[in-house]
Amino acid sequence: MSEKATTQSGGYQKPLPEFRPETKPFWDGCKRHELVLPKSRTTNEFFFYPRAVSPGEDMTQDIEWVKASGKAKVWTFAIHHMGPTPAYKNEPAYVVALVETQEGVKMMTNIVGCDPKDVHIGMDVEVVFDDVTPEVTLPKFQPTSK
Amino acid sequence: MATSIPRVEDAREVLKKHKIVIAGVGETEQGKIPNKSSFQFLSEASKLAIEDAGIKKSDVDGLVTAFSLVEHTFMHCTTFADYFGLRPRYFSSIAIGGATAVWMAAEAAMAIASGQAEVVLCVRGDNTLSGISSSGMVALIREMCHAEFEFPYGLTTPGGYALAAQRYLHEYGLKREHLAAVAVTMRKHAGMKENAMNKEPLTIEDVLKSRVIAEPLSKYDCSIISDGGAAFIVTTEEKAKTLGIQKPLAYLWGMGQGYSHQYLTTLKDLNQIYNAVESSGQRAFQTAGISTKDVDIAFLYDCFTITVLLEFEGLGFVPKGEGGPFALEGRMEIGKDLPVNTHGGLLSQAHLGAMHHVVEATLQLRGEAGPRQVKNAEVALVHGNGGIVSAHSTILLGKQPLS
Repeated sequence: MSEKATTQSGGYQKPLPEFRPETKPFWDGCKRHELVLPKSRTTNEFFFYPRAVSPGEDMTQDIEWVKASGKAKVWTFAIHHMGPTPAYKNEPAYVVALVETQEGVKMMTNIVGCDPKDVHIGMDVEVVFDDVTPEVTLPKFQPTSK
Repeated sequence: MATSIPRVEDAREVLKKHKIVIAGVGETEQGKIPNKSSFQFLSEASKLAIEDAGIKKSDVDGLVTAFSLVEHTFMHCTTFADYFGLRPRYFSSIAIGGATAVWMAAEAAMAIASGQAEVVLCVRGDNTLSGISSSGMVALIREMCHAEFEFPYGLTTPGGYALAAQRYLHEYGLKREHLAAVAVTMRKHAGMKENAMNKEPLTIEDVLKSRVIAEPLSKYDCSIISDGGAAFIVTTEEKAKTLGIQKPLAYLWGMGQGYSHQYLTTLKDLNQIYNAVESSGQRAFQTAGISTKDVDIAFLYDCFTITVLLEFEGLGFVPKGEGGPFALEGRMEIGKDLPVNTHGGLLSQAHLGAMHHVVEATLQLRGEAGPRQVKNAEVALVHGNGGIVSAHSTILLGKQPLS
């Protein structure tokens, strides 16, 4: 059963994640403005996205949530000029990126806080939390402040 | 050392023994065709393939279908069997996105080789362009990525491919022109195909200047959406003779699959994609006992321009990073080094997964491709790709039986 975040409060019309029991700790962390990542206690390896069972050879359910550094590098990005739903209709171009965190996992995200034209592969970024609704906080990334 | 564990080489003996063939093909009109349902396109395409083979509907005893993006069915194959009035003794629906059509031929072959059916109709059709609702389109884009961890960032399907393209251009120091060249070649080929949607000549400049969708991809880097149906019939050489099929047969020489990821989030690097493509191709080549240099004509899944380059390189036709320059030099055109998608592909002909890739490969091997005919086309490779370069399937077809 998924716990659907249906509230479109504050006029937020863009797609929202539907939490599952095994992903809830991640979203709870985001709400506290903490990036927490799942890690297998058997292999000591991080994985992402969160699953109830480690996707490694160990198949363990002994999963630990670890506070991540929040530091990452842009692995690739695509400047979107068209969004997936009508809510994006008059939206300026935005950056969807795959970033590789210091912990070694990749996350899909938006790069914010800079001109899309300045985003490049290998760019250092850090997590920033966007409270899009009272229930949902999306982790996004911005250029690392020196 | 003798082993009873089946190996891919055993498939070669099975294909040699049974001589699995494509014995009939059909394609309906493609384009924007309102007022025709998904099941009408499936029926029309099936009828055309049955008539092309010159057999009776009741000769068909196996059915492999795919899925519909418009009419959602729980059991697609049997829903269509009911609609079309078919009573198959073997039936299956394959749902591996763009890898489906290619794998239909492989699955039909395995069904035949295991005595489950003798004449298998493989068919796909949909009124995707006219029939899909805006909410249906959103649902499709959502399903193409991770609904919880990717979709909330506004990732689109072209955006997913743009992520792969950006990384590809970065790693090999290539430019958008290298992607655009693929679109230009497909358009040139579609110009020679009567049943193609977009035939107006296209230049590199046109592609670069077209509306930006998700950088580095613009409108002409993206495939079209269309209504239509296509079908092919798989049987054995002997059964074809028994049924009095007159059409030249296209022989199945090999098949393979390769899996990389479902969600880009779990993609380690580009090599993971290349390895999946390679694994898919390698098993097909191993079964056939041939290599890339034996292929006369290639049909590569071209949902986006980048897809063709990743497949072309992954299959081993050229080293990594050299597909772009190969395309830019026009070497994928008919009459050049290795003609790719002589029918215009998903970028210019029509989008029905790789159905038309299989149909065109058969027409080429028969020598029935008209102005697009590749001289001395003896061996064709067809490669399908589902998801965001996620799931791969390859078949090899020959003009002669596998020897």
